[in-house]
Amino acid sequence: MSTHHLPRRTLLGTAAATAAGLTLAGCGTGTERGGPPRERKKGQRITLTFWSWVPGIDKPVDLWNRHHPDVHVTVEKVSAVNGQQYAKMHAAIKAGNPPDLGQIEYPVIPGFLLDNGLRDLAPLGAARHKNRFVGWQWQQSVFGNGIYAIPQASGPMGLFLRQDLFDKWDIETPHTWDDYESAARTVRKKGAWIDTFAPTNGNRFAGFAWQAGATWYTTHGDTWIIHIDDGPTRKVADYWEALVKQQLVKTIPDRQNAWYKDIQTGAVPAWLGASWGDALLAGNAPATHGNWRAAPMPQWTKGADAQANWGGSATTVFAAATYPEDALEFALWLNTDPASLALLIDGGYGFPSAKKGYTTTDLDVDKEFFGGQHYSTVFADAGAHVDTRWKWGPGVDTLYQRLGDAFTDALGDGSSFRSALTKVQAHTLTDLKDKGLKVESGG
Amino acid sequence: MTRDTLDHPGLPPAPAHHTTPTRPHRPTRRPTRHTRAAVALLLPFLTLFALCFLAPLGYAVHESLHRTARTGPLGLGGEHDVFTGLTNYTHALADDRFLTGFGRVLLFGAVQIPLMIALATTLALLLESASARGVPFFRTAFFLPYGVPGVIASILWGFLYVPGISPLVTLAQTLGWNVDFLARGTVLWSIANIVTWQFTGYNMLVLIAQLKAVPSELYEAARIDGANAWHTARHIKLPLIRPALTLTCVFSIIGTLQLFAEPMVLRPLASAIDSGYTPNLHAYSEAFVGNNQHLAAAEAVLLALAACVLSFGFLRLAGGHGTDRR
Repeated sequence: MSTHHLPRRTLLGTAAATAAGLTLAGCGTGTERGGPPRERKKGQRITLTFWSWVPGIDKPVDLWNRHHPDVHVTVEKVSAVNGQQYAKMHAAIKAGNPPDLGQIEYPVIPGFLLDNGLRDLAPLGAARHKNRFVGWQWQQSVFGNGIYAIPQASGPMGLFLRQDLFDKWDIETPHTWDDYESAARTVRKKGAWIDTFAPTNGNRFAGFAWQAGATWYTTHGDTWIIHIDDGPTRKVADYWEALVKQQLVKTIPDRQNAWYKDIQTGAVPAWLGASWGDALLAGNAPATHGNWRAAPMPQWTKGADAQANWGGSATTVFAAATYPEDALEFALWLNTDPASLALLIDGGYGFPSAKKGYTTTDLDVDKEFFGGQHYSTVFADAGAHVDTRWKWGPGVDTLYQRLGDAFTDALGDGSSFRSALTKVQAHTLTDLKDKGLKVESGG
Repeated sequence: MTRDTLDHPGLPPAPAHHTTPTRPHRPTRRPTRHTRAAVALLLPFLTLFALCFLAPLGYAVHESLHRTARTGPLGLGGEHDVFTGLTNYTHALADDRFLTGFGRVLLFGAVQIPLMIALATTLALLLESASARGVPFFRTAFFLPYGVPGVIASILWGFLYVPGISPLVTLAQTLGWNVDFLARGTVLWSIANIVTWQFTGYNMLVLIAQLKAVPSELYEAARIDGANAWHTARHIKLPLIRPALTLTCVFSIIGTLQLFAEPMVLRPLASAIDSGYTPNLHAYSEAFVGNNQHLAAAEAVLLALAACVLSFGFLRLAGGHGTDRR
């Protein structure tokens, strides 16, 4: 699931809601929480609060509420712009009044663990359900012996492109990154840009590095080892720096007004995105209906099948939840029940983490928008080949910010992307030390 | 002038009156009653002041002197705060991005505040001049942007700045001028434009209020002495609204240092705005993205100190010139 999965029309509302959210984050929500965990007595009616930003999440929750009158779940929508939902959750944890359940992306799970903000679901028997989910996604929330979230969805990456324009300009779908660069050159000759390198989009850059074989975080004993400046990441940085320096890509932020306009007009006829991008394109560029196709990510080695993931989130139970067992039951139901999955897929929540309960064709929600292509098979294949060595560490929010700042500086003063990586590596070591962690540089 | 006779109508009677034998029965209890009344009247203010000002300030200072220590494997065992002295402060002052943000708001203030105050003064003088027409309408119209919350104003202007959406950019491009309001070199001034749009009317109103307080005899006297409208404005109105000008300048200095909503809202639209674009944004990012409240608290305290130094520095500067009038 993307943090930025938002049509531009919601910008105004979201910003206003954010402002309100920031103000209200410190206030109670009226529900009694924070006491010691309790077991619900038979027939006792309780209300659980669930913070989420997933489009259409209300529908499966309504369904749950119809079938489970005793455990009523209330959805409170949070803003997903620039990670503001996590700011709100961290503040609520600090203030001692978080909701019972929350939607959080895989990369930020370790950050919440540092806050002691998440309930360990292992003592509640969560391990029993391990095999109902895709292995690497289940592992995203397993730390030590603890299980800290129930995976909901992932975002296998792929290349979206305007087939009509690519045909018109006589460009073949790029299979390798070299192909992609020459395609970029042709697109530029036709007066358009193949994509934008948004300096502040750390999520996508991490996806590129992931695909190239990077592992930014590893652990050794009780020490975190950081390798943001590793070989694969440098390769990716060099590649994009070359595209930027040759002015083959724009440098505007993606998934913002200007970019949506470019997507609508064809000024940007392609996007390296993720599976959840189908709803985003269909919702924001309706006039380009039927012209888009999805293709696998370009490869570093011809014929290889290296894939990556962008986004993906889990349903978590906060440590302060009073009825953790009921919250866990809801989280499991939400992410495995076929009826719930059908509603979530309909809302465009991403690629299910559950192994069963749907078929890949169910995911072709916007099939007509993609000219009848069974585009979900592209992402299903990508999901099956994601490099499972990748692991997130604490402070990913800060890391993204550091990356964004460093790339912004590099674009501003023309310094190399490699120097940006060096800076981010050094900053991240300091940041984690500041958090009181044992850290070492893995080069 | 007539000041001595007009002033002090509300002062309590002199203490001598109290000792007159009008109420001889309870002479000893009077001071207590006064003290009690004073306490009762001050209590609401003091309570709120302590609760909303002193307590957060104290908490921020306390937080800024501590850091988080973590235990257990990979730091996941638990956390507690430990005293760390001024480490957070040296850390903040060693952060280039934080210092650059400070430099940026100072530059912003040096350019934007004089412009805005000059504009506000001009509007105030025009609206208060004898030949002004439609005064209530224009006064309201100029003041209206102040009623728009900063976040909303930034969203509105954001739409006017984004290429592809903005009619202004499209218009400029058809005229052959390739303008980018959100580029590295321009975005600060695009923010200055929003701030000016929002606060000129407010400052104008403060100045008008002071202009209204100028006794009309002064204008009469000036007219008799043969002063035209320009002379009146230059030699009577401007010197007399000096206190209001000082006030608006101090407010603007503080507001500039606290610049936050505008860059925060424009940030997703403009690649040029980083996480430490202004000191406040830097502190916010540290607190809520980096989840490092201790460093953020230190930065907030530094920001408050800077605001103090600059405001009082300005007051001293402005006051020093004005002493000869008193």
